[in-house]
Amino acid sequence: MLRKLTPYLFVLPLLGFMAVFTYYPILQSVNLSFREWDFMSPTKPWVGLDNYRLLLTTRDFWNSLKVTAVFALISVPLRLALALAVASFLIRETAVSRISRGAIFLPAVTSTVSIAVVFSWVFSTDYGAINGFIALLGFDKVPWMQDPQLALYVIIFVNTWKQLGYDVIIYTAGLQAISMEYYDAAAVDGGRRFHVFRRVTFPLVMPTTYFLLVISVIDAFQVFTIVDVMTRGGPAGATDMIVNMLYRVGFTLFDIGTGSALAVLLFILLIALALVKARVIGRRVHYDS
Amino acid sequence: MTRETSAHALWLINGLTLLAAVIFLSPVLYSIWMSFQTSDAYYSGGIDFTLRNYDVAVGQYNFARYLLNSVIVSGIVTLLGISFATMAAFAFARFEFRGGNLMFGAVVATLMIPSHITLIPNYLTLARAGMLDSYAGLILPAISSGFAAFFLRQYIRGIPRALDEAAYMDGATPLKVLWRVIVPISKPAIFSMALQLFIAEWNNYIWPLVAISESDLFTLQIGLARLYRVNPGEDVIDWPLVMAASTITILPVLLGFVLVERHLVRGITMGAVK
Repeated sequence: MLRKLTPYLFVLPLLGFMAVFTYYPILQSVNLSFREWDFMSPTKPWVGLDNYRLLLTTRDFWNSLKVTAVFALISVPLRLALALAVASFLIRETAVSRISRGAIFLPAVTSTVSIAVVFSWVFSTDYGAINGFIALLGFDKVPWMQDPQLALYVIIFVNTWKQLGYDVIIYTAGLQAISMEYYDAAAVDGGRRFHVFRRVTFPLVMPTTYFLLVISVIDAFQVFTIVDVMTRGGPAGATDMIVNMLYRVGFTLFDIGTGSALAVLLFILLIALALVKARVIGRRVHYDS
Repeated sequence: MTRETSAHALWLINGLTLLAAVIFLSPVLYSIWMSFQTSDAYYSGGIDFTLRNYDVAVGQYNFARYLLNSVIVSGIVTLLGISFATMAAFAFARFEFRGGNLMFGAVVATLMIPSHITLIPNYLTLARAGMLDSYAGLILPAISSGFAAFFLRQYIRGIPRALDEAAYMDGATPLKVLWRVIVPISKPAIFSMALQLFIAEWNNYIWPLVAISESDLFTLQIGLARLYRVNPGEDVIDWPLVMAASTITILPVLLGFVLVERHLVRGITMGAVK
């Protein structure tokens, strides 16, 4: 009898916490997204789809969707292209390669808040490193984080700098898994370096590219910390990502209904992306076996 | 090309590569340097070493307390998280039980669930339980890791069952088999997962931001963001002081990184490229 209960006891702590802090909140978010509430009042009246309707008619929502999409469209290809180039360059297992990969990987495990603070200094208008350099060359200082045209690119730069190492590590593993025979065959054919890369390396490393593509798109739609520390979504909403809006609506405006509706929309979007990822990975496993 | 010049070229390429790596990290390296400079020296462009910034960060701004909070919260989250994940992974890998597949599916499904949908409801749950502004409030929502459970289950399935059988023959209980047979063999995988849990929790920002308003319970991330944001975007910030706080926030992971980078990289690539 006890023997039968054993596996249940082993999974109970994990599943118990998941039920309370992961699965119940999903149902609760859906429920709250149909209600109007401000954390305080004793009742939570049912308002049907009003929160969604309201959300879809506000400029803030479309703005943050646009900002997040632009962020993803620029930063994802940038990350992948840079990472593939760096990983290809550092592919051999020499000491220099390993040290360099380690250096590039370091930001990926470093505190995002610290990185955002450090780069706030780098890009700060009056005392920052970049403007110091620009002034040295005799040009005018650039208000990097105060200019709505520029602020998003600063965020993209910092995010790329932080995440690049992760992509490089994954690409390195992907590239090293490609059998040397392919390169040898290409070399026998007299392939030039770029030609070999385009015709041999790039197609063979495609599964890794797919994987990183989906991971980095999902990441892009969940960016919060860098923006919260560096610009708080400003100037004039120019860097207002979806999660930053979610935080503002839920925890500074205390509009629980609208915040939950936004969370549910983000959830649906990311589940759709995750399903694409599951299909991609499923195909790869299939391909391997 | 003669052998000699190609050796020279290699030296040059290696040198440039390392230089590029240093330039890549220069913002962080310089922030550490700056944290040991006096404000006067920094703003006038001179060099003047001091420990005063650390003194102020710890004495006036409570960063020793934030460091302690981060260590306690990340430590407990890692310990409980890896224990629960290992236990569940063992059950999923070794036992046939009714509902087992469904439960495993539920665990794997959490890998796809974006954490932000849990933000508002978890805030409400913990408010109702009176656990906002407490260590428990920081820890409890963070300890179930679907990824660690999934990853360890795959790993344990690769361990020959004969080892379990032998231990059962000797009269061991399942708990003993887990502790004496499975855990010792799975140590590298468990260690990699524990590292990832610890780093993720150490760097966690949005949940402590939501759950904590009592400054004695701030983690380093919240303390640093607050210190910097006294006047966000304006240049009346005491940059050397902020960089001292930032260095305190980075340093534990930085030092650990040097020691365990290989485990970390292996864990991440094992999870991604199988």
